[in-house]
Parts: sequence; C-alpha cells; structure tokens
Amino acid sequence: MHHPTWGFLIVNYLFLGGLSAGLFFVSGVATLFYQQGKEGNARMARLAALLAPWPVAIGCTLLIFDLGKWYRFYKLFLHLRVVSPMSIGTWLLLLFTAISLLYLYSWLTADERALLIAKVPERLAFVRRFDRDLTPHRKKLAAIGVPLSLGVGIYTGVLLGAVQSRPFWNTNLVAQLFLISALSTGCAAVMLVLVLRGEMTREEMRTLFAADVLLMLLECLIVTPYLLHGELSVESVRQSLTLILGGPYTWAFWIGFVVLGLVIPLAVEARELKLSLAVGPAHASRVLTAVTAALVLVGGFMLRYIFVFAGQASSFK
Amino acid sequence: MARREKRYAIAIDAKKCVDCKACVVACRAENDVPVEYSRPWINEDHRGDWPRLMLAFEPEQCHHCDDPACVRVCPTGASYQRADGIVAIKQSDCVGCRYCVIACPYEARFFREDKGVVEKCDLCSARVDRGEVPACVETCPSKVRVFGDLNEPKGRLAELLATRQYKIKKAEAGTGPQLYYLL
Repeated sequence: MHHPTWGFLIVNYLFLGGLSAGLFFVSGVATLFYQQGKEGNARMARLAALLAPWPVAIGCTLLIFDLGKWYRFYKLFLHLRVVSPMSIGTWLLLLFTAISLLYLYSWLTADERALLIAKVPERLAFVRRFDRDLTPHRKKLAAIGVPLSLGVGIYTGVLLGAVQSRPFWNTNLVAQLFLISALSTGCAAVMLVLVLRGEMTREEMRTLFAADVLLMLLECLIVTPYLLHGELSVESVRQSLTLILGGPYTWAFWIGFVVLGLVIPLAVEARELKLSLAVGPAHASRVLTAVTAALVLVGGFMLRYIFVFAGQASSFK
Repeated sequence: MARREKRYAIAIDAKKCVDCKACVVACRAENDVPVEYSRPWINEDHRGDWPRLMLAFEPEQCHHCDDPACVRVCPTGASYQRADGIVAIKQSDCVGCRYCVIACPYEARFFREDKGVVEKCDLCSARVDRGEVPACVETCPSKVRVFGDLNEPKGRLAELLATRQYKIKKAEAGTGPQLYYLL
C-alpha cells in the first residue's frame, strides 16, 4: 500500500476506546465486588467511573471526523450488520457510552448533582426533570456496563482481526491482545491519577497492581504465541511478521511496546505488589509508580500504532 | 452459494496485453474518474538483463468475488453485491470509513479524497444493464478481456474457461475471486 488508509486518528480512537473500556471495567468490578468497610474500593470505583466516559467520547468524535463524509455518520445507526465488525462496534460504542454516562451520574453525590443541574440554562429547564438519584442502581448499571466494556475492548481488536486480507491482523490473538491491553491501560490510568494526587492507599495499590500484573502477564502469554505461531504459519503470515522482525516497525514493537510498555512496567509493578503485600513502606517510590503507570499507557498506544500501520502494510503476495 | 441466474465475470488473456492503457483511459471517461485515480490498472513484471530478459503485463481490476470481504465489512451496506455477481457501491450510503479499502485483498478500491467516498470497478453496470460490455472490454485493441455470463454455457466466456487453463489470484484470501487469468 502506498500510504495507509487508516492513520493516527484511528490509532488514537482504538487507544481511547480501549482506555474507557478498561476504566469502566475497573470501576464496574470494584463496584460489583464492593465489600462493606473497604473504602479503598469505593474510591477507586468512583474515580474510574468519573473518568470512564470521556476517552471513548473523544475517540468517537475522532472516529466521526475520520469519515470521508462525517455528516453521514448517522447512517451507521440506520443499519445493524452483524457480519460487519464496524457495525457491531458502532452499536456497542453507543450503548457503552450511554451506560457509562449514566453510571458516572450514579456516582455523583447529591451536592454534585445539584451543582450540575443548577448549571442547566433556563431554556433547557425541562432537562432538570430527568434528574434522578441513580445511586441505588449503581450495581445494576455496573452489571450491564461490564460486559459492554469487555465488548468495546475486544471489538477494537476484532475490527482489525476480522480482516482476512491482512495476515498481520487475521488471527484471533489480536482481539485478545487488544482486550487485555485495554483493561491494563484502564488499571494504569487509575493508578496514575491516584498516585499523582498522592492518595493511593496500600489496599488500592494491592488491588490495582495485582490486577495489572496479571493482565500484563496475560499480554505476554498472547504476544509470545502470536509471534511463535506466526513464524510457524504460512508464507504470507511469516512475511507480515517481518514488519516487526527487522522491518519498519521493529523498534516501535520491541522497544516501544515490549520493553517500555510491557516488560519494565511488569517488573516494577510486580516489585511494588510484593512491597505492598509486605509490612513496610507502601511505595518503593511514588515517581517510579507514576512513570510505570505512564509507561503502560504508552505501551497501549504503541501497540495500537504498530498494529494499525503494520497490519495495513501486510497482504497476500 | 446459491446458483445465480446470471453471473458476470471477465477472463483476461494477459499475454495479449501491450500496456497501452486504453482500458484505464476508457474507464476514466466512462465512469468520470479523475486522472489521479484508476479503477483498472496494469501490473508490470520484468526480470533479467539484456539479452536474457522478460517483460510482462497483466491488467487487473475488481475481482467481483463470490464472497466479497468488502461487502461483508461495510457497516452501512453501501457496498453490495448484485444478483448477477457485480460488486458495487451505493455512493449515497457510503460514509467514507474506508474499511472496505483495507479489507480488499486486491487493493481494488480507492478513497476519493475529493468526494469523501470509496470507489471501485462496477463492471460498468449501467452499460451491462443496457446489454453492452464494460468500457475496458470494448476499447481493448488486442482483445485482452472477455466479458460474459458464466452461466451462459454457449457463451464465449464459458467456452474459454472450459477449453483453456486459467488461474485466479490470491485464492487463499478466501473471497472467491471471479477474475480469470487465462494461461
């Protein structure tokens, strides 16, 4: 291909969509498994809930403006084509964004809601009638939203993986990789905000690091067979892997994604997890934790950048 | 695939191609395609050094697959397949997401920056509906392309495919391509 059909807007969207899915997942799971007395979980859940809708909202905006005819985007909602990953994804995004906004609303305190409602201009006063206390429905919204967040997370990978003409993408591992990476970036984003605000407790650390270490291990267990099985596959697949094994995306993949985005954060977080389990200082270093969380986000972005661009460059010969 | 009443396709006798590009020009004129874009194109293969060398041309265009990936991935149904096998785009339904451009194993689709929509060969469906042959077929001075109905047993296309060896390209992509290259 002379120049990529999908560019950086799509990379950004895939990253942001995944990030929102991850944030919602973290919040939803924390809500569903909330136990009385574990204040840390509630704080984490609230923080992630307040963050969750925005990346995907920005991402969808980017997506619409990436269309050749952006004002025709409504046509996407006039059809549901189950054989088109993009069509399924469009509907998933719509439902997910709606649920995540309702869910966010359910996490607002009465005061915050009052403040928000007070800001509604007089002309739109009717909106105020829709103000409800959704707090009692929080768990229900989480229960609906968590499967949707998994759907959005995996969809970003399916969008690429379901294209049979691009050997670099056309494996089920891509969908799994994108999903796990999405959940991991969600964890990392919560970690980053908590640590920057200087309010991460030992309990939150334990939960977030344990989850993220597990997710990153899973990523390793997907990337490895992706490469090994690819190398043992047919000519076109092996050929497409040269894009990251000596080709133009080699550095981005090995340094940007594998080393900076996966191995280093995994090592640091595993150590932090060990520290948080022991008695002693809660942090090896706050800066280190922040940098690590940022690296996970960078890794997630690199993964999408590499896959979007390298995938388009791969083809049957 | 359910049997179609008609199944239009093209056979290409690439050895006859002299790279005059008349097909490309005729297509542009017929379908109002600006010079920056092209629906059909001609692949070039050359090898060796003088005096041991070869140069071969091979016209290509949309393969009008039986199971077109571009139609499958289209989120709005703008990309569709007619009952006679022709794969086309309903331009008023195209949102310009370009998923189909990526999904096509043959790079047979392109995005019109000026129009914001995707475009491709539709076998000159308007001409075909009038009983004519596609512009690229009609104009070719060396008669490289043979257009016809695969389900017309007495037709020239069916005769060629019954009596000549042929290949199809990238069958492993699994889209059931219907552009036949005579050997």
